[in-house]
Amino acid sequence: MQTNNMTQGNGAAAKAAPKYHKMGNLTKNYMGYVMVAPFIIAFLVFGLYPIANTIWLSFTNTTLMKQSGEFIGLKNFQSLFNDKFFYMALGNTWKIWLTNFIPQMAIALMLSAWFTSSHLKLKGVGFFRTIFFLPNLLLPATVAVLYFSLFNFYGPANQFLVRTGIFSEAFQFFRNTTFTQSLVAFIQTWMWFGNTLIILIAGMTSISTALYESAMIDGAGGWKMFTNITLPSLRPVLIYTLVTSLVGGLQMFDIPYMLTDGKGSPNNSILTLNVLMYSRFSSSKGHIGLAAAVGMCILIMTTVCSIFIFYVLRDKDAAKEKREHKKMKKEQMKYRKAVSQ
Amino acid sequence: MSTNTKMKMIDRNSFQVNLRRFPIYLFLILLTLMCIVPLWLLLVNATRSTPEIQSGISLIPSTNLLANFKTLSGRNFSLPRGFANSSFLSISVTVLSVYFSILTAYAIEVYDFALKDILQRFIYVLVLIPQQVSIIGFYQYMASLHLTNSYIPLILPAIAAPASVFFAKQYLETCVVRDLIYAGRIDGCGEFGIFHKIMMPMAAPGIFTMAIFAFVASWNNFLTPFIMLNKVELYTLPMLVQLLRGDTYRTEYGAIYFGMLVSILPVIVVYSFLANKIVGGLALGAVKE
Repeated sequence: MQTNNMTQGNGAAAKAAPKYHKMGNLTKNYMGYVMVAPFIIAFLVFGLYPIANTIWLSFTNTTLMKQSGEFIGLKNFQSLFNDKFFYMALGNTWKIWLTNFIPQMAIALMLSAWFTSSHLKLKGVGFFRTIFFLPNLLLPATVAVLYFSLFNFYGPANQFLVRTGIFSEAFQFFRNTTFTQSLVAFIQTWMWFGNTLIILIAGMTSISTALYESAMIDGAGGWKMFTNITLPSLRPVLIYTLVTSLVGGLQMFDIPYMLTDGKGSPNNSILTLNVLMYSRFSSSKGHIGLAAAVGMCILIMTTVCSIFIFYVLRDKDAAKEKREHKKMKKEQMKYRKAVSQ
Repeated sequence: MSTNTKMKMIDRNSFQVNLRRFPIYLFLILLTLMCIVPLWLLLVNATRSTPEIQSGISLIPSTNLLANFKTLSGRNFSLPRGFANSSFLSISVTVLSVYFSILTAYAIEVYDFALKDILQRFIYVLVLIPQQVSIIGFYQYMASLHLTNSYIPLILPAIAAPASVFFAKQYLETCVVRDLIYAGRIDGCGEFGIFHKIMMPMAAPGIFTMAIFAFVASWNNFLTPFIMLNKVELYTLPMLVQLLRGDTYRTEYGAIYFGMLVSILPVIVVYSFLANKIVGGLALGAVKE
């Protein structure tokens, strides 16, 4: 891969650097601490402490009214695991994510294969790419309200369907659970397939064309090249897309919250975990402890799934090679040290 | 490009290729319509009066844009203020996150200090940890400091933006020229001077890309301000747009569409000028992980 070469090239430059340091600038390295200090301080104050605080709160009965709560052990998690709404939210979150991710990935893979294909030489690739990415930049709030307006009882969708005679009378879209759930998944796909597409195109263009040329000489067809060259070479990019989409998908909030009444209507069909968290937080009692427990469940689930994906999809041969490479480097360093002494 | 050799081999059966291209173009046009039509309807309806909107779909703009703006302002819906709030927040967040991310990435790239590798790996892991899961702890913590209904909790955390550092590090790897740093030192430039006067201008294209993504992310952010703020004067655009779904505006369709249009217009205008840079920047950040 081209990118690999580039990073290796820089690695070489980095190795060359210490030579200069020995010429008298070694002391300047303390500047590294000075420059990372703002990041570390801000992270401790605004990143780490809130996480620690959330973990602590999830073990307490804190509410919005009384700021300090008592430690109640695992009771929040117990009541969560006995709550049918929690299981509903869990199921909905996964269902909506999967029904969004699978078509999104399929479309993005197909389009990126077409766009980078030297057989097809499609025209206007840049134009299509630009248009497909546009929805990703829009405010989710606006997108939700827009789709709410479009599929409203008096909205354009009903006007169109009734005028053209497809429906005999206007349809209450937001009273239908299947429709509403599918619409959320569709909106997610609508907003994200362009993003995935651009990442996949970048991944595909970095695959060496020599691979395809030699495959063609061996008489491989388009599909065979796709499954045997494109997909394996794309592995790191695919893992990246999968994990980022999952991390985002499990936290889905804006669209399901703003598309209907903010409580997952109709019939809790778009109640996702984050919507549940917010509803516990904003309920009249303001159960901060319970909401924090929901947040913790999302965090644990995200972490476990990410690690699982990395573990299952890792390139076993490459990992082995890397380890051996590291070992060799270590030995080289030892050797160099011994020589210099 | 070495694809030329392949092209020659394929050209012979170009008729077949044409036949294959046709359904592909059809599909692409379909997807284009899918992306454009909802937005076009939004634009058109923002210019139509409520009776016009109720009477049917139209793809041609009408003349009610100003009237819709007046209806919306008449209902105590202050778009200009929301716009100003969102702009202030997004610009502050962008400046802080871009400056400190590039500073952090530069330190990791250039200096040798203890724990540097651990810090770098740690930041890479942080990218994957969703921020919203700790929002409850964040809220309670800020409330105890009496910082709700303040922009401080929305701006200062931008100093530690792991995803931005990740991108900046990838970018700096390709553009840090060590000889220039040594030259700067010999000329008596301080370390921060080297960073500001030599590195920042050199990394300008990357900084620009980071800035755009930081701005859009902040502009679109809903949950954090929604939880932290409850004074209407402080509301950001997404929070105002969210109100449009409520009862107050139920029958003022023209005004609702107008409100939505204003919220997305800046992003669309910027995008129409800088689309290639934005799309290219996204690709740059993603592949070299």
